[in-house]
Amino acid sequence: MRPESVAWERAAEVREAARGWRRVGPIDEATDQAIRQAFPDPCITPSAVWRVLTAGVLAAVILCTFGAFFIAIRPGTAALQVLLFLFAGACLIATDALEASPRSARRGVAGATSLLGVAFLLIGLGLFLTETVKMRYEGAIDVLLIASVLAWGLGCWRWGSPLFAGLSAISLFLFLGRLPQARALWLLAGAVLAGTAARRLDGARWAPSHRRAAAIVVAAGLAGAYAALNVYSLDEHLLEQLRRFAPIATAPPRGLFILAAVATAVVPLAILVWGARSRRTFVLDTGIVLLALSLVTLRHYVHLAPLWVVLTLSGALVLVLALAVERALRRAPGGDIAGFTADPLFSDDRRQRALQIVPVVAAFTPAPAAPAEEKGFAGEGGRFGGGGTSEKF
Amino acid sequence: MAPDMNPDVVSAIARLRATNVLSGGQAALFERVARRQLVSVRLEVRVLLYLGVLLLASGVGLLVAEHHREIGPLAIAAAIGLAVAASLLWVMRKAPAFAWGEVEPPNVAFDYVLLLGLLLVASELAYVEVQFTVLGPKWPHHLLLVGVVYLLAAYRWDSRTALGLALTTLAAWRGISISLIAGSLGPGDESALRGNAILLGASYVAAAALSVRWTRKPHFEEVFANTGLVLLLGGLVSGALEDESRWVAWLAALLVVAGAVMWLSFRLGRALYFVQAIVAAYVGLLRLLFEPFRHTLSSIPFLLASLLGIAVLALIFATHRRIRER
Repeated sequence: MRPESVAWERAAEVREAARGWRRVGPIDEATDQAIRQAFPDPCITPSAVWRVLTAGVLAAVILCTFGAFFIAIRPGTAALQVLLFLFAGACLIATDALEASPRSARRGVAGATSLLGVAFLLIGLGLFLTETVKMRYEGAIDVLLIASVLAWGLGCWRWGSPLFAGLSAISLFLFLGRLPQARALWLLAGAVLAGTAARRLDGARWAPSHRRAAAIVVAAGLAGAYAALNVYSLDEHLLEQLRRFAPIATAPPRGLFILAAVATAVVPLAILVWGARSRRTFVLDTGIVLLALSLVTLRHYVHLAPLWVVLTLSGALVLVLALAVERALRRAPGGDIAGFTADPLFSDDRRQRALQIVPVVAAFTPAPAAPAEEKGFAGEGGRFGGGGTSEKF
Repeated sequence: MAPDMNPDVVSAIARLRATNVLSGGQAALFERVARRQLVSVRLEVRVLLYLGVLLLASGVGLLVAEHHREIGPLAIAAAIGLAVAASLLWVMRKAPAFAWGEVEPPNVAFDYVLLLGLLLVASELAYVEVQFTVLGPKWPHHLLLVGVVYLLAAYRWDSRTALGLALTTLAAWRGISISLIAGSLGPGDESALRGNAILLGASYVAAAALSVRWTRKPHFEEVFANTGLVLLLGGLVSGALEDESRWVAWLAALLVVAGAVMWLSFRLGRALYFVQAIVAAYVGLLRLLFEPFRHTLSSIPFLLASLLGIAVLALIFATHRRIRER
């Protein structure tokens, strides 16, 4: 990243923190103003809504322009590659210029051009390998995945996009999945990625966006290592199916199966312990997701009770657990236990509550009533909703 | 996802303390948070509560779907009724007094227990209808009943979540699916659904305006207006793209409504309304650009779409520069 971009980001971090302090109340308007003057940020920073809109419209402009050129010149494969590389080059050069200007660095335009630039580059490379070099399909995929790791990684390093770090990590795991001993490589790569990136999470020398990218890499590394250890993934040969020539599936040795079963139970708990001890909420969140996956794996192998009992009891258990944690934290002296609190601190609690409407409505809105069914009610086969499911009785 | 410790903020606090911009007490509190010595798990508690409600509601749904014959209709109806009573009694006991203004929930769990109670009410009503055929051939009206229950609960307990559910459930009663992925308004006659979507959308937008004008839960405005605009603009876009005989009229109507929404959103300082309107207008205008070339492969409409996009970007930048967001 350019040094001036890093400086703008650091100032923006402080101003964002000050906005939180002002929102909750510990500082007044004058202090907020003084902080803004002490940490000037020349960048125009629209809200997420504006950034997404701008990025979406610019992406439409670029794709329509590409479509216009494609139809106008009706290129053969060689000319199409040139066109793709030209668009990639134009997008990447534009990104660099946009990122250098405080007027455009945070408006969403650079995000759209960088994403499309790398995508054009990779598609062009894929065509070049298969059509010009006449590389075999399997070999071309390998080269493309390595290029993807590097391109997204370099994009993250240059422009500080955490999304690119995630795409780079995913490409790396997909490439490793194609090699012999994929499972061991996933485990090793996951551990190395998580361990290395975790050491950079609080690094003052890193730009804030690079630290966020490191957090994404930690989560991706943990998820990759867990996927390698999960007993269902081992049993169903999920990683081995990524290989060029998937071996004939045989049952894993009993010892390995037991080891994987133990790891499936232990790894999420270990991640939760790490998250609690380091007080990193994103590690805690990763642990919670992996623990949920382990419980689903357990249910797959051990049928303790019918599914409705498992769902109802686990739902009740999760509710009680959440309520107990919140109550305990709220009643603790000072409002915190071991550094954890249920208080929103300086985050925007109203915004969180407003955002919760979206998943609730998405999950619980009943299916629309079909007008045709209104005429002929059969009494037994109607579809109902509203209870979280589209019940069929 | 952000790393929890922020070295930039830590060093800034030290500098602000040294220059007396922050007091000792302020600096100590802020530093404790920035150094990750005090961490909020409020979001995690919320996510767990949401998951708990999701799992419980799914479990109850499965129970009544798979085992209603073994357990017996009365037993199931009574069991769900008990769960409803328990949830809603807890809500009533904890709820602050009614007010037309915004009322803070007593704790983070309040909204979720209310949600659970309401979802169980919906399950109970659906189950009773299937077992005892109360509404008969008019069974889709149970969605109306559920929607009204959600709406009343939203007002009584000041829940935007319940209001969002009420509005989408009422849309479902009229056969409309509010989904960003579906690509259509729902199953059934397109023109009837379009009419329903536009009418319902317009009435939600009117409700948003009245909420503010009469100061009756004015903070519900955004939920009413955003849902209403999705329906209203979605209905008009659907007419402009899918009605082969009258698409020009639909497009004209869409442009008028989108223009009005953009102007109003600019005056009100509501970015999300502006975004919905400009996206709907852009999608509608694409039909106008591509229509003359529908039987030939030409680069001209793509070029025009690109130029239109640049004009839209210019409008976005100009609006963002001048709008005073609330």
